[in-house]
Amino acid sequence: MTGQAFFVLTALADGPRHGYGIVREVVELSQGRVKLKIGSLYGVLDRLSADGLIEPDREEAHDGRLRRYYRLTDGGRRALAEEADLRAATARVVRARLGLTGPKPAGAAG
Amino acid sequence: MSAGLDLEQRYRRVLRLLPRYYRDRWEEDMVAAFLDGWMTGDPDEDSVTMEYDRPTREEIVSVIALAARLHLGGAGAPRRFFAWGQAVRNAVLGVMLAHAVWGLSQLALFARSRHLIGWLPPPPGGFWPVLGYATGYAWIVVFVALVLADYRTARVGAVLVLGATVASVVHQQLAGTLVSPAATWAYTVVIDVAPALAMAAFHRDAPPVRRRPWLLALPAWYLLVSVPVLWAELSGHAAWVPDVVGRCCLLVSLVCLFHAARVWSGRAGTGVWSLTLLLLAAVTGLYRIISLPVFAQDSHLIVVGLVELLILAVTAALVAPDAVRSQSATPAPLGYQELR
Repeated sequence: MTGQAFFVLTALADGPRHGYGIVREVVELSQGRVKLKIGSLYGVLDRLSADGLIEPDREEAHDGRLRRYYRLTDGGRRALAEEADLRAATARVVRARLGLTGPKPAGAAG
Repeated sequence: MSAGLDLEQRYRRVLRLLPRYYRDRWEEDMVAAFLDGWMTGDPDEDSVTMEYDRPTREEIVSVIALAARLHLGGAGAPRRFFAWGQAVRNAVLGVMLAHAVWGLSQLALFARSRHLIGWLPPPPGGFWPVLGYATGYAWIVVFVALVLADYRTARVGAVLVLGATVASVVHQQLAGTLVSPAATWAYTVVIDVAPALAMAAFHRDAPPVRRRPWLLALPAWYLLVSVPVLWAELSGHAAWVPDVVGRCCLLVSLVCLFHAARVWSGRAGTGVWSLTLLLLAAVTGLYRIISLPVFAQDSHLIVVGLVELLILAVTAALVAPDAVRSQSATPAPLGYQELR
């Protein structure tokens, strides 16, 4: 799973969001490191949708335009959990190899 | 050019780069998300923004990258785009294979310079010839990296090679050693820059390359074509050997002929290889045309070049009908969804 897909799925983990809502949430989650452009975002959404990891939730009118919201599917939730475990395990190995004894990074499993 | 358009219309213009099937599904959503990023809720400020602002360069680049990935489709793409994607990937591999064979020839010259092969003539020394050998070796790395799906290495290698090639051409032009500067720049674009840009077709969704045939093609081409040509040149029969562009024309023609026979016998499959050969014939034909001015002083060589072009055009025409078929008959790849 790419870093962008991981952040997009994470942005949808606590509820449905529309396109620009996902962009803003990813900026916040990544502490400003990942700023998705719209072309990149919809490349990721198209792929995640084709893989059955996200699906449309609802549409809402806003300023005369329709905002489409997306949500995680059950498969998307499982895939995100597996990816989070994998990344946490990798982070633990790296910290051990570096001899870091401080507190575990926030969100690390186990 | 875009006078009278507002920000939304300007963005929709950029989105026209995307295939229609994709726009039908995502355009309204993309426009809404794009404008959400600009609107502040203040009517006056938003009105000025709509009238005067334009999509940023980064936004446009992200759409261009998405368009390239969609037009040169991978797994999951509609069949027409998948066929184009496969054909461009195969054609890029074909051009890179030709470059890699040239790199192998450079390697043989280097081996000679180290007294590893006794019967070859020694290569010239100096910075620019050595850069030429290094470029040849780098093409081998680029080709092998593409086949092994190490796309990052392939792209970095291609950028380095292009840099060295452009530097070398500039040096030759400044030194006044180019027979035809316009022709040299033109075929640098056709056989180096364009195939390197077309490497964009090797994206995440691209199906893996069949490694064995492509890896075997490298030594096979070198041993069956390059070595006999070298032997003929060294044994005083150079007049009978077509130049490198002519050899490429004849090789592509031979493959077209062989493939046409397979098509007629019903063993050719999806038409993707016919489309690949048409692309290769176009690149090779263009290469032949723009290299003809080099023979301006020798009308006999001009005639030979035109005959090579004719053979290429006729054999490419044999596979053209099957290439057209690839636009509708390519089996849907894994993950293809009719409604997408």
